[in-house]
Amino acid sequence: MLDYLISIMLTAGIYAIFALGLNLQWGYSGLLNFGHVAFMAIGAYTTVILSMNGVPLIFAVLAGMVLAGASGAFLGVATLRLREDYLAIVTIGFSEIIRFLLLNWSSLTRGSFGLYGYPRPLEGMVAHEDYNLLLAGIVIIVLLLVYAILEILAKSPWGRVLKSVRDDEAVSVSLGKNAFSYKVQSLALGSAIAALSGSLLAFYLQYINPNNFQPIETFYAWIMVILGGSGSNRGTIVGAILLWGFFSTTRFLEGYISFSPSSSSAARMVVIGMILVGLMMFRPQGLFGRKEELTVGK
Amino acid sequence: MIGQLIANGVVYGCIIALAAIGLSLAYRIMNFANFAHGDFLTLGAYLTLFFAATLNLGFPVACILAIPVTAAFAVALDMGIWKPMRSNGASRTAIMILSIGVSIAIRNALIIFFRPDALRFPLPVMESMNVGGILLTSFQISVVLIAFASMLAVHAILSRTVLGKSMRALADNPNLARITGINVDRVIRYTWMVSMGLAALAGIMFGLITHLNPNMGWSIILPMFAAAILGGIGNAYGAMAGGMIIGLAQEISTAFLPAEYKIAVSFAIMIAVLFFRPKGLLGGG
Repeated sequence: MLDYLISIMLTAGIYAIFALGLNLQWGYSGLLNFGHVAFMAIGAYTTVILSMNGVPLIFAVLAGMVLAGASGAFLGVATLRLREDYLAIVTIGFSEIIRFLLLNWSSLTRGSFGLYGYPRPLEGMVAHEDYNLLLAGIVIIVLLLVYAILEILAKSPWGRVLKSVRDDEAVSVSLGKNAFSYKVQSLALGSAIAALSGSLLAFYLQYINPNNFQPIETFYAWIMVILGGSGSNRGTIVGAILLWGFFSTTRFLEGYISFSPSSSSAARMVVIGMILVGLMMFRPQGLFGRKEELTVGK
Repeated sequence: MIGQLIANGVVYGCIIALAAIGLSLAYRIMNFANFAHGDFLTLGAYLTLFFAATLNLGFPVACILAIPVTAAFAVALDMGIWKPMRSNGASRTAIMILSIGVSIAIRNALIIFFRPDALRFPLPVMESMNVGGILLTSFQISVVLIAFASMLAVHAILSRTVLGKSMRALADNPNLARITGINVDRVIRYTWMVSMGLAALAGIMFGLITHLNPNMGWSIILPMFAAAILGGIGNAYGAMAGGMIIGLAQEISTAFLPAEYKIAVSFAIMIAVLFFRPKGLLGGG
């Protein structure tokens, strides 16, 4: 039971970090990143591949963040001068391309066999059975750090400009702010945060393969952000806990309903899709969001 | 060798073009990128399978039924979801996020009803014919013929009918269209019908030359959008040209690149267009 709680804490924590990156892009900056999972995948694979080749873990994690941030910036430069839907289209394509690349670049990624047996942080310090508890501690510390940094950034002049760009780009441009550059920065930083969550996910799973990074993962993050209230970091964390609560409860209920495994996970996805539809139709500000902070209801 | 790749590219390009026309029309009239478009391809293909295999109606009848049923479903969805969103003045971004939810729900509902495995239409396996050194099945030839006929029909609707005129008026200026007495909701409903009818047709064709699986439409959303953007998103003729170019480029690339990477060709073309000619070849809406 305790193991089960720790594993929920780990996944909810890792996905909360992942979703915080999206909240920076969408909640604070109004950017439609529909391929967030690509940056998580880049983080996970870069960290694992580098650390298997002897690079110290901390640098391997940082390298993943830099690579993901640079990819995010590249996609931003390609699209952010255009209408906002181009970013959505291009990022969704990018996340598929990254998955195809990971599946097919076998010499580097071992394709669908995946990678395992890679180093994890502080591995020698505790017994193998206790490692998840230690990792949960690390995840929570990272989550709190990311949260604190984002809160400080949100209240800083940088964060205020971001929000002003989101609310009315013309006004901030007329005040001499380079809106385009702020948006690219926000996209890059959010992508780097996704990469960090990817490294943590790799440490937790001990085995990664391209199917861990399906497009649907991106929309889990979207639901977490919207459920909690776009633009609220605290809301995003609550959203992550709620969504993971939903997953664990439905998995628990599965034992009582005679569904084939593929049908029951599909049924869960139908509910996920409907939650997204329902939120956008009836409560776009989420459970705790403030209407005046809303990027979608205008 | 290259002739064969070009032939494959034309067949694939026809499917992408039909899908991209609907995507582009919906973008122009409803003013948002519909991420559920691919799942309507899938829906059309599976409805055909249902009519043909489960109800035993014969394949041609099944196709003729599946297309209007898909279109009717799209109209129902407009009344239930898109119209309330429009009347609430919801933003484009909200509507796009919503379309993702619709896409996830449709795809997984199909998994529940039809299992996640690959399926085939109940049709005999076709021998390839040798047409001047190029191997083609009669399925592939009919895909090309029907696609071209449909493109001509779209051209006729857009240029010769009152509906086409109203669609263009609505796309240029919704408020002006409304005060000149155009019934906006009705034009939008017809646009959904045309767009999703074409999507269903594209889905049937895709299932015919490959196989059916619940992910089939979602899996080609990238080439679909790449085609629409390449042609100039919002421009139906651009989508036809874009679809053909994307189809040809993907197939011809297999002469130089491993076939697994052909989808990356669409992505590369899309990025290049955004950098150098974001309005697309024919200019978007």
